[in-house]
Amino acid sequence: MTSHEWFIEHRTAFVIRTLEPDEERSFREHLAGCAECRAEVERSERELAWLPMGVAPVTPRPGLTRSLVDGALGARRRSPGWLVPVSLAASLLLAVGSWFWAWSTVRGFEDSVSVERERLGRELAMTRDTLGIIRQAGMVRHADITMGEHKGGLIIFADTETHRWNVMVYGLPAPLPGQVCQFWFITDSGMVKSVPVQTQMGAPAFVTLGMPSAPGKVMGAALTMESEGSSNPAPQGPQLVHLML
Amino acid sequence: MPEPDPRSPGSFSPDRLDGGPAGRLLSLEREASLQARLLARDERALVELVEIATPWLLGVAQGMLSDRDEAEEVVQEAFTIAWRRVDLFDRESGRLIPWLLRITRNRAIDRLRGQRRRVLKARRLESFQVFGDGSTAPQEPDEAARPGWHVHETVHAALRQLPDEQRTVVHLAYFEGLTHSEIAGQLGIPLGTVKTRLRLAFDKLRGGLASIRDWVL
Repeated sequence: MTSHEWFIEHRTAFVIRTLEPDEERSFREHLAGCAECRAEVERSERELAWLPMGVAPVTPRPGLTRSLVDGALGARRRSPGWLVPVSLAASLLLAVGSWFWAWSTVRGFEDSVSVERERLGRELAMTRDTLGIIRQAGMVRHADITMGEHKGGLIIFADTETHRWNVMVYGLPAPLPGQVCQFWFITDSGMVKSVPVQTQMGAPAFVTLGMPSAPGKVMGAALTMESEGSSNPAPQGPQLVHLML
Repeated sequence: MPEPDPRSPGSFSPDRLDGGPAGRLLSLEREASLQARLLARDERALVELVEIATPWLLGVAQGMLSDRDEAEEVVQEAFTIAWRRVDLFDRESGRLIPWLLRITRNRAIDRLRGQRRRVLKARRLESFQVFGDGSTAPQEPDEAARPGWHVHETVHAALRQLPDEQRTVVHLAYFEGLTHSEIAGQLGIPLGTVKTRLRLAFDKLRGGLASIRDWVL
């Protein structure tokens, strides 16, 4: 039988999970009856709670955040346990054949409804998110933009709850081939390049942005027309608008 | 400059506008509010939690599993648990984000200890290098403004204070998910040496992390 000293010595190893599988099982069994070790393990977990943050963060691929939300929400709608045997029974009916047409028709309908429901759910969640930023905006700024004969504008909704900007650009035509409409942050240490904005007539462009990592207080924003693929960190092309907070 | 996802989670900090410290986003009050809203099944709270925590959870899972798809599955499991079992989360005994980090890490380790993964991991570790230069320099635009970056920097500072041989075993144990015997085999050192180095390292780490024990993102 393992002595209590062994468990004392291996508390941290249990918390960080470096014990061998059989040792880990043994430790779990011990914890069930040892209040002292339970308390020490909990204390150690609290002390090391942030250690996983030593990893470099990984930027989620496009769409993953929405997929994770849908996945978590979808878990509550997961098919009940009886669905599997019912499906098996339906398969048997398929083998018989007499019900094949009716079953496959209904099943196909259910599948298409399910796919459509998932798609609509994703769109609804994205729309809610975008509207949420606009609704909760603690600060809204607007500036007119004149581009030849076109008159449009730039609107910035700054949401202090979710800590993002929703930027809307409207009334501007698509850039000429080889050009992009570039969004910039104006900081007290200079202009900081952000993202291209996909402008097109008849449909406002929306982008959701975080603040730049470069040091300096954000004081405003600007739009310029730049050459496509330019890696220049400073604006080179004509400025369409600038907007101070 | 990498093309950002226009729908990707941002990291706008009001502190940047105030001239305050960057990245401190999840205040105690907001975390409590977030948990209460999760308990009330507010789906927007889940969206917020996913946006804040996903980059870090992905970092944990991908670092251990070396497989982006599998890491995403693990993160999905963590959020599903958070959504379904938030009522079991005891706010007094921990914090929301560390709870998620722990779930993710434990799930990743459970997968890692499957036989197939163990073999793949062993192969990958043949080209193992410890932490590089330990740099925490942002790798992507806006990364330093990401919620939690200040915690990341503090953890790295604590890790950098360790002697190389201790940092190596911590990396293999904590961030790669290896057991004592696997570390000993990997480094070709006695099991007792592994345990000693880990004990000394974690004694120091506790001190280094004490200042952020009760921090929030």
